[in-house]
Amino acid sequence: MKNLTPFRLSLAGLALIIPGALIAIVFFLTTYSWKAIGFNGFGFLGTINWSLGNLYANPVHQHGYLVPPGAKYGILAFIVGTLLSSFLAILFAVPISIGTAMFLAEKAPANLRAPLTMIVELVAVVPSVVFGLWGIFVLVPLIAHVIGPAITATLGFIPFFNMNNSTGSGYGLLAASIVLALMITPIIATTLYDALNQVPRELRESAYALGATHFEVATGTMLPTVRVTLIGAIVLALGRALGETMAVLMVSGGALNYLPGTLFTPISTMAAFILSQLDSALQDPSEMAVKSLAEIALVLFLITVIVNAAARLLARGTVRVAQL
Amino acid sequence: MRFDQSMRYVALRRAAAAMVLVAGLGMGVARAASVTLTETGSTLLYPLFNIWVPPFEKAHPGIRVTTQGTGSGTGIAQAISGLVQIGASDAYMSDAQLKQHPDILNIPLAISAQAINYNLPGLNNRHLKLSGPVLAGIYTGKITRWNDPAIEKLNPGVALPNHKIIPVHRTDGSGDTFIFSQYLSFSTPSWANSVGYGTTVSWPAVPGGLGAQGNPGMVEALKQNPYAIAYIGVSFHAEVSRAHLGKAMLENRAGHFVLPTAQTISAAAGELVSKTPADERISLVFAPGADSYPIINYEYAIVNARQPNAETANAVKALLTWASNEGNNPQYLKQVEFMALPASIKTLSADQIAKIHG
Repeated sequence: MKNLTPFRLSLAGLALIIPGALIAIVFFLTTYSWKAIGFNGFGFLGTINWSLGNLYANPVHQHGYLVPPGAKYGILAFIVGTLLSSFLAILFAVPISIGTAMFLAEKAPANLRAPLTMIVELVAVVPSVVFGLWGIFVLVPLIAHVIGPAITATLGFIPFFNMNNSTGSGYGLLAASIVLALMITPIIATTLYDALNQVPRELRESAYALGATHFEVATGTMLPTVRVTLIGAIVLALGRALGETMAVLMVSGGALNYLPGTLFTPISTMAAFILSQLDSALQDPSEMAVKSLAEIALVLFLITVIVNAAARLLARGTVRVAQL
Repeated sequence: MRFDQSMRYVALRRAAAAMVLVAGLGMGVARAASVTLTETGSTLLYPLFNIWVPPFEKAHPGIRVTTQGTGSGTGIAQAISGLVQIGASDAYMSDAQLKQHPDILNIPLAISAQAINYNLPGLNNRHLKLSGPVLAGIYTGKITRWNDPAIEKLNPGVALPNHKIIPVHRTDGSGDTFIFSQYLSFSTPSWANSVGYGTTVSWPAVPGGLGAQGNPGMVEALKQNPYAIAYIGVSFHAEVSRAHLGKAMLENRAGHFVLPTAQTISAAAGELVSKTPADERISLVFAPGADSYPIINYEYAIVNARQPNAETANAVKALLTWASNEGNNPQYLKQVEFMALPASIKTLSADQIAKIHG
């Protein structure tokens, strides 16, 4: 019992605030959306039609629940939009991040290293709405007039990469993924850079001494050493991408009632959709609309947890393989 | 180093927050007699409130008004919960919502209208003629090309391009979506039966369609996308004409094609003034009359008749009375292209304002 010092107790209390808040959020989301979970059933996850119904007519009884006439809540399109845009963003961000971190840690001229690192870190603190504005005024026209046509010209024989099968407006999956990739690249790059700096000097020197080239040292010695950190950074970045709201809302083209057929098709992500629908949902006298939005938040939370857990398992797996 | 920076940032923010708090307390002491009213809601009304507040505060030194543009649904919800005294909304409350909250008043402050704009290279200086059924066809994906026979029939002699139409809609909840979908519902039975109207509707999946965020997002989507069409509040008239976008003549209930002008908007309002009920909740969309522009609406203040105390109630009454009278002066309304309320509506509003009590 001598361990129960006031200092220790107060530290434990502080440490419990975050887990407590997490439990409180999950508890709130579950109880608040309970009616919606009952009304929507599993169709919520498996259908793509979303309608708040006629909010100006009197609510009607449907399956024992009071809802606006015509209301149906299916979020498959938003789940697909969220996962697709986040995974594409990771796909773009990881090679760039590895290259950036490698350059900064190994090849950057000593006097440039500090300012370059600072610039990369600076990108991480740019507010997401700024990325959104840049997306609307620079990236979206660029996709519409340069990137899109170029991809269509080279890969257009695959329907997914053919811009002519979409609006051709630049707003959509690709714009959202690129904006997300820009936002998460500094997270991965700076974490990786810090880890690369921790790699013992002896390790790379002995690799060089054995006659390894720069490329072999980078891919054969450095990267495997920081593998776990890299996966951790990707998980962190993925969490950020899955939950990003404002920037995505501004460039995604706000798709409703359909799945993205091409790289250029408008999408909606779950986080962005909650924000864009909330104002109208507040007018629903039966409150089913707001509760269904809370249910989306709950599903988004669960998806984030699952993705996290999967990545952690993956990380543990690679460590074991490395030890063999 | 990164850690240091973020720590310093947090510390700075806290210092700033503390300063704001202290300043706020100081002001509270200095102006002990004053009442602060908070307005939130419609982003279409937000610029008008910002124009109104300085002259109003000058005329009523004891009252301070803070404004915020958050969206009509938020305005209604926060006025009901008592978080704000004045909720601004482009849409009136539904019967069901009013039944749950019988103390809430819907008070018109001005009349707004909506234009249908498009970006048709070479044709933006021409006013194309469009009707509700044609727009419904475009927004349901039944009419996909600009040279569709249905559009050509309305515009004989115009060389319409053989190009895919990009219908743009709002992704956020919006009074503009409310009156646009009302125009389609009232003019096109198939739209009324399938999509209906609301501040957000379940837009049919049109492969070439596009969603945009807010009126600025609509203007930007039109600018960037030749062959796109969108509905935009007339407050954005300046941005739309700066971008050299086209403006459509719309078919009204009488079958005539009209542009949104002071004359056609007043004509439409004039038709429905006598039908406006005592609680002033009425749609002005698709009004009868040869000259009536079909997409206009009252902009509402959503107010709880029961205020926490007499001072607040009197301040709310003063603001609403000022807004619907002095505030309807063209010198204010012209800046956002709104129209003044007709005299008989001001009388109805005065009756409603009189119900506000502490």
